[in-house]
Amino acid sequence: MKDSAASTGTSSLNRVAAIESEWRQTIRKSRLQTFAWMILVSIILLGSVELSAVGKSSVDAGWIDRIASFVDRLIPDLRADALFAGRQVDGSLASWFYDLPRWLEAMRETVAMAFVGTVVGGLMALGLSFQAAANLNRNAFLRHTVRRGFDAARTIPDVILALIFAAAFSLGAVAGVLTIIITTMGSLGKLFSECMENAEMNQVDAIEGVGGNRLLQLRFGILPQLLPQILSYWLLRMEINLSVAAALGIVGAGGIGMELERAISFTEFDTYLAILILIVFCIFVIDLVSEQLRHRLIGLTQ
Amino acid sequence: MSAEAALIARAEAILPGAVIIRLERRIKTALAVAAFLIVFVACCYDLGLSWDVLGGGLVKMGTILGAMWPPTSGGELPRLLLALVQTLAIAVLGTLLAALVAIPLGLAAARNIVPNPAIHFAIRRFMDLFRGIPVLVWALILVAAVGLGPIPGILAIAFSDIPRLGKLFAEALENVDARQQDSLRATGSSTSGVFRFGVVPQLLPVWLSQCLYYLEQNFRAAAVVGVVGAGGIGFELEERIRIFAFDEVAFITLMYIIVVGIVDFGSERLRAHLT
Repeated sequence: MKDSAASTGTSSLNRVAAIESEWRQTIRKSRLQTFAWMILVSIILLGSVELSAVGKSSVDAGWIDRIASFVDRLIPDLRADALFAGRQVDGSLASWFYDLPRWLEAMRETVAMAFVGTVVGGLMALGLSFQAAANLNRNAFLRHTVRRGFDAARTIPDVILALIFAAAFSLGAVAGVLTIIITTMGSLGKLFSECMENAEMNQVDAIEGVGGNRLLQLRFGILPQLLPQILSYWLLRMEINLSVAAALGIVGAGGIGMELERAISFTEFDTYLAILILIVFCIFVIDLVSEQLRHRLIGLTQ
Repeated sequence: MSAEAALIARAEAILPGAVIIRLERRIKTALAVAAFLIVFVACCYDLGLSWDVLGGGLVKMGTILGAMWPPTSGGELPRLLLALVQTLAIAVLGTLLAALVAIPLGLAAARNIVPNPAIHFAIRRFMDLFRGIPVLVWALILVAAVGLGPIPGILAIAFSDIPRLGKLFAEALENVDARQQDSLRATGSSTSGVFRFGVVPQLLPVWLSQCLYYLEQNFRAAAVVGVVGAGGIGFELEERIRIFAFDEVAFITLMYIIVVGIVDFGSERLRAHLT
């Protein structure tokens, strides 16, 4: 009786020891792993610092002065007493935003670029995404071709596309619109085809059962269930494209970005800040409107 | 026929508008479509998009695409590879800098860390305001301020990602399950212990995977900022487009697409492993 109690005592002690040693091993293994990851990350970081020549850059002694003078030129010399005076008075808001009508015109062009690019690119994405969805297109070769096309359209940097289009279509808004069309097609095409792969196929089968052709199957079987989701992605892309369109102007593809570029090349940094404020404001307002629309769209489905 | 009409009438009674679309709704839809089309056509007209312009440009585009074949490195493969790695380095350092600054911002913007609603509301709106500024706009001003080279590229990527990462970090913090902290507190842990064992283990994988995702995106951004003079592959590409060396442009672009694919694949695997 006593013996058996002692033996269970020792066996449970042995078990505890076994568990503890295993635990220690696990901990040691995970610590080693963490350590290896830290070494790898440090090597990557050190390599990055070395390659990007951050350490070797010729930061001369006067860099604080340089940045101070830059910030000084960035901030406009506003005077409180003349804040609301006319354009000719130095230190007024009107003299800071001295070219506002032209900037608004350029901003309108940017919005138009984003709008046209989003609509056309989205339509192309919608048309092609049926071909990229595995449940709607059984032809694997065609499906993969379309998908790789989407990938390529998303991966090529938009600015590079804009430069190439500018070489063909000359500098201006047309090059920007074409760039936005291509990148929008790539990103929305991927999202749309993923949506379609999650779609309920019963409706499609039902329409096929009553004799509807392929087009009718897609129109009445697929589109109605996905429309809120698709439109919400589309609107989100519109928001993104607005800032893309603003940026593309910097390489000469039309719109407000060209004004930014001009301000920099004339080293009018306070003008740059004024235009930047305008852009941020416009993007903010359009984001708010689009967010409301998207929430309404999602709300309609529930 | 009458049976069909009865069926339709029954369906209408159950769900009005399900079978018969009313005339006023049709008119409304038609008006909306017409308004949309008018705006669209006006925008096209405003931008100078016409068939002549598109046709003429497409002919030139064909010549350019023809000039892209065959892609060639122009005998500068080592230099291009170095530029590509430099682009990756810019992306890594930019992401790191952004993450380091975004951590305190994220902490301050999280509802469960800073209980004062005024502070996190103000920080969130502040970050929202800056989120709209594209990376190229940052790069342009930073090149003017700091000078040519990779440093303005790194700073531009960091500046444009700080508000985005800050928001994501704050959201991840708010999604941390509070029950682990409760049990730690119940067993008598100190505040720092609660944070270390109740918050960090849940948070770290999410934050790391968000950083990795932004690293993928920043590899693209780093190529873009190169175009305005911030070093790397974008600079090489811009140079070659300006002199119409499209065969080299095609080579660099293909090389870049392949490397982006590799980086995306590796990062996706790591992220799947993390979460």
